[in-house]
This record gives sequence, C-alpha cells and structure tokens, in this order.
Amino acid sequence: MEPQRKRLKTSDLDLDSWDPVAVLSDQLCTDVELVQALAAPVLDHRQTSRAVQELRQMHPLRGLAHLKRVRRTGAGSAHALEVLVRPLHEPSDYDYSRLGLGDLFVVTVPSTAPLTRPQFDTASAHWPTSFHEDKMASAALRGELFPAGQKEKMHRYMSLAVEAAKDGQKLGLDAIGAVMVDPDSEQVIATAHDCRRKHPLHHAAMVCIDLVAKSQGGGRYGYEEFSGCGFSASHWSAVQPYLCTGYDLYVTREPCVLCAMALLHSRVRRVFYGTAAADGALGSTFKLHAQRDLNHRFEVFKDVCVGLCRELDQSRSL
Amino acid sequence: MDKAFDMAKDALENGEVPVGCLLVYNDDIIGKGRNEVNQTKNATRHAELVALDELRDWCEVRNVEVKTVCERTVLYVTVEPCIMCAAALRLFNIPVVVYGCNNDRFGGCGSVLDISSADLPQTGTMFKCVAGHRAEEAVEMLKTFYKQENPNAPNPKTRKQ
Repeated sequence: MEPQRKRLKTSDLDLDSWDPVAVLSDQLCTDVELVQALAAPVLDHRQTSRAVQELRQMHPLRGLAHLKRVRRTGAGSAHALEVLVRPLHEPSDYDYSRLGLGDLFVVTVPSTAPLTRPQFDTASAHWPTSFHEDKMASAALRGELFPAGQKEKMHRYMSLAVEAAKDGQKLGLDAIGAVMVDPDSEQVIATAHDCRRKHPLHHAAMVCIDLVAKSQGGGRYGYEEFSGCGFSASHWSAVQPYLCTGYDLYVTREPCVLCAMALLHSRVRRVFYGTAAADGALGSTFKLHAQRDLNHRFEVFKDVCVGLCRELDQSRSL
Repeated sequence: MDKAFDMAKDALENGEVPVGCLLVYNDDIIGKGRNEVNQTKNATRHAELVALDELRDWCEVRNVEVKTVCERTVLYVTVEPCIMCAAALRLFNIPVVVYGCNNDRFGGCGSVLDISSADLPQTGTMFKCVAGHRAEEAVEMLKTFYKQENPNAPNPKTRKQ
C-alpha cells in the first residue's frame, strides 16, 4: 500500500531557516585532555636514534602511543631536538646523560589521540602527535558535510514525515512522523506516524521499521487502518535488502531509547531529526549511535527542518 | 524460568537468537515470547516485545486495563533485556525482571547501559532486576547460536571510501 503522495509547492521550501547539525560523540566534540610528562633536550644529536630506541625500551609510554618521541625546537633554542622521556610519575633513577640528554623538564602533552582538525591543532601546540583524522567529524565541524542540493532532498523527505505526522494528528494521535528512505535509489520505502495511543510501543520510528519489514515480505503488524502509514518495496536494490541496512530515517522528533536502539538493531545508515526530545537517545540523554561496545554505529543529524517540526510539537501540546 | 528456557530452545531450533521469556501475573502466564527477528525481518521482534503483545491480547480478551495488569506482572527472561527491550518494559510499567545471564553486547540493565534505573521521566517507570538464574546455560545457548552463520545476513560489504 503506497501512502498518498503530496506535492510540495516551491514556496513551501524554506531552506535558509535551518542547517543540519551533526550529533557527534562526546569524544569528538570535547577539548583535548592534557597530562604532564618529562622531556629532555638532545645535547649529543649523533646519539638521537640510540636514545629514542633505549627510551622506547625503558619507558614504552603506554596509552600515549599517539605521541611522537622527538620534537624540533624553534629557532633561537640552544639545542635543535627534544625527546619525550617518560610520564611524570613513572619512577626511574636512570642517568639520561648516558644517552646524550640534558636535564629533564616538565612538558604538557595531549593524553588522547586527536580525532578532528581542531583537536589536532590544540594537541600539536603542546607536543607533536600522530593524527588519523575522522574526516566526517572534521567536515561536520566545518559545516561542509553535505554537497549542494542535499538540503533540498532533506527538506523533501522531512516534509513527508511532517505530512504523516499531521495525518496521525487528524486521528487524534501524537503529531510525530517518520519516513525511511533508500538514499541510493532516492526511494521512500516507508512512511509512518506515531501510534502510541493505540499501542505503547508504536512510536513513529517503530512503525516505520515494521513497515520496512513488510516491504521485504516480513512485518508483524498491519497498520491498514492508518492511511498515513504505508510502504513500497525497494525496486532498485541490486542486492536483497536486509533490515534497514543502507537506509536513512527522517523523523520529526528525536527518537527515544526504545526507537534509537531499534534503529541500531535494524542497522540504519543515518538518522535525520527535527527537534530534540527530553528523553531523546540520539543526543539529549544518550548518544546511542556513537555508544562504545555496541555493534553498529550510525550518523545522526538534528535540526533538519526544525521550524516545521517545532510547529508539530507545539500543536500537540495545545 | 524453565519454561522461558524451553522458549529459548525453540528459538535456537528455528534459527533465531535463543532468548525466551514469560510474563507472569498472579501465577498465570499471560504472555510468552521467543526471538522472531529473522522470521519477521523486523529486528525489534525480541522475545520481550513478542510477549508484551501477548499480554496486550490477554488484557483485551478479558477487558482489563493493560497498565493495571502490568504493574503486578513479573518478566522471566533467559538473557538480560537489551537497551530497546528495557525501554519497552519501562513503557509498559513492568516492575520486576528476573533474568539469566548478562548481555554484554546490548544489555540495557547495566551491561552496556542501565536503562532499568536511568532518569528518563518520559519513558515509563523504572524496574528492579534479579539476575543470575541458570546463567551458564543461557550463555551456552547464545554461544551455540553465534557459532552458526546468520542465514539472513547479506554478503559482507567492502567499504566504500
């Protein structure tokens, strides 16, 4: 059953009033943490590589593998190189002058590997570190994540979710809507609105997940009584679809713990939502999509068509 | 719990993750479930959610309020409920959950996150957990399952970059 299509007037497109915001793990948004260590100037530079080798043996810098062992000093310094000797509180009575090193001094070094460009810039101001950039996160922080034209698509899909929410609202249900999209074929696979007043677990995202299952010949519920809920089988996929693998969910309000974990189990590719929710699990209370120990990660963006979605939230509370 | 283990065995024999559960109200089993994710192609069809649907049907037939019944219902499940199911149990106001082994992959009662006692005012009510009954056996069943291949999984994708 295909949900009825709604044509959008160009005048409805208000693309300047919002920008998608990536919901990144705390690890990616926090400042670099620092820790103190001991370094020494290299007085006999012919011994540098031997000194580094010996120090690696003596003080392996556990947990600080991202730090480079040697740094170049600026012009005007009496010596050209400095080496990182050991963490501040690691005991040792070794005489480092045997390695051609001068007196130890305290330096501040980043305690974790930088993941984004801003973190790297801060970190390397303290001590040189290796850098395996999380390109997605860096682009997100620069606000350059999506190519031109992507916002129009987001707007199109979120508008369908908003329309579904309104369909539900007309039936006395909560004004929350969701659509599942195959971004490769640009096909809408499922459209749903919230049905929690009929069943405590039938939140919009949960309904969407079951309708996707229906599109693959499975599914548990009918939802036939709701004209705003429907699905269409994926025509274009070359491979047999598996759960929500590769699909994007557009949902007007931030998913709760139930829905966020259901989306994770369903292996969704990305989630775009409008407004944040007090108990939301994709940014507000938890960041389930970036939770360590879980077997699937996905990308999350908020504030998509946030104005339209906020109107829905407010209409519900009246 | 013995009945819950029978449900889990049935899941295993049907190519599903071996988890089984019962909902017990006044010594009556009013809902039972085992994982049926592969069967329905819906990754949310965990044993607990299947059993909660049976509970709703039970209440409907007898014309009693779901919430009133749930407030006096105990869930017996072979494995710690996952994060999703823990949220679902809160939304149904189930007060007590008795489970076998911990769920290190997805556990929502302390293993990965503690949803059972988290401060989530809009996500139902908190519940108490009693863990450890026949835990080794539950773990063994899970191990047996994960040794098998998942017949529904697609071919591993090569990374697009």
